[in-house]
Amino acid sequence: MSSFLYNKLKDICISLGKHNDALYAVLAIAMFKGVMRPTFTMMDKKSDPKSKKYAAFREGLTEAIAFGSYIATHKLVLPLAVPLAKKTGASPKKVKNGLSLLSVCLTAGIIIPVLCNLTLKPIMDGVSKFFNKKDPKTDSKLDIKENANPLPAMQVYSPKLSENSKNLLDTVRITSMRNYGMKVGG
Amino acid sequence: MLGSFVNVITSNTFQTIAQNTDSCVKIETGLKAVGRPAFTLIDRNTDKETRKYAATKEFLYQLLCFGIYLAIIPPIFKNGGFKLAQKIFKKEGMPAFKNAKQMLAYHHLAYMTPEERRLAKNKKFLDLITEDLVNPRDNNAKLLDYLIGADKKSGIHKKTLEKQDKMFDLAKGSIEFSSIIGSVVGLTILAPEISHLILHPIMKVFRLKPENNTEEKTPAISNAQPQNLDKKA
Repeated sequence: MSSFLYNKLKDICISLGKHNDALYAVLAIAMFKGVMRPTFTMMDKKSDPKSKKYAAFREGLTEAIAFGSYIATHKLVLPLAVPLAKKTGASPKKVKNGLSLLSVCLTAGIIIPVLCNLTLKPIMDGVSKFFNKKDPKTDSKLDIKENANPLPAMQVYSPKLSENSKNLLDTVRITSMRNYGMKVGG
Repeated sequence: MLGSFVNVITSNTFQTIAQNTDSCVKIETGLKAVGRPAFTLIDRNTDKETRKYAATKEFLYQLLCFGIYLAIIPPIFKNGGFKLAQKIFKKEGMPAFKNAKQMLAYHHLAYMTPEERRLAKNKKFLDLITEDLVNPRDNNAKLLDYLIGADKKSGIHKKTLEKQDKMFDLAKGSIEFSSIIGSVVGLTILAPEISHLILHPIMKVFRLKPENNTEEKTPAISNAQPQNLDKKA
């Protein structure tokens, strides 16, 4: 092992040994989950590409919310340590450690689920709308292709077929549909 | 009220938990297993059946994560990481702790007063510290003497930490670092893969399927329409 790596590893271990905040592990988990889970989802070859994109984005977003929530709660709670320690005469370092664990618990158990409930749906709806804006272009292209198939249906409208009363009914129906500009899949 | 709250969060047990990656991740996973399904059930944006399905799936997933965590972290990453760190940092003169449990027991006792260390409730930790454990950087002084020795050495652990060397921090930190790596590997790589294999069969056994899954129904209907029209044409 190179001396640079050795010293870095040693510094990290000493630092964690001195003070291991409850936040470190949960942040590491949220960060890697935010990267790994969408990656795994996108690698799944069985799923539909659109569903994969949606699911991967949703997973990434959930972990981004978790990551942000842990940091925000931690930043909000920790300034309380000094006044609490002053009031009760306890060690500020110990109060900080305790509050840090409490903030992690509060965030994991309540804040993240609440935030996900409140924000995920509107954001995902917005994202879906954004993707759907592009869809009509592809749909219109598909419609053009699909319109090529119904053309033989025009034969149903031919006078020969109109002898049959059933075909006549079909003819009337299809004619009315054409007049109102309906398309296959439209 | 405030005083008792601060007393609780500054107690030795709470401090040990707060400084321990293993305990923190266990608590976090446990809370997720309860909190996420509960809030999913409360969410009124979706119908009841889908909520039930999502909440059960989330609960089972978090339980699975908890199981994976318990099975992997303590034996492989906590002990394995500590052994590896002892090899890597051999020249630093770390005390020859037999395993991570022994090191953590020492660490737990080190931050107590000598009187507290002798209490019956801490006997299980003290029993783990054997006579042969010495500090090579302090003329092979016995660690047991640091903790409950009759001479002046008793209770000097903090001084040892601050002035003499950082070997105890290095030993403790190596356990925490490998636990963090283990948590990441276990919860972000292994858990999703294993859950993919296990969760769906379990859900099927309990006949837990979303009844109103619009995402699955919509493409089926849209595909059926052109086919019917083509046939008629």
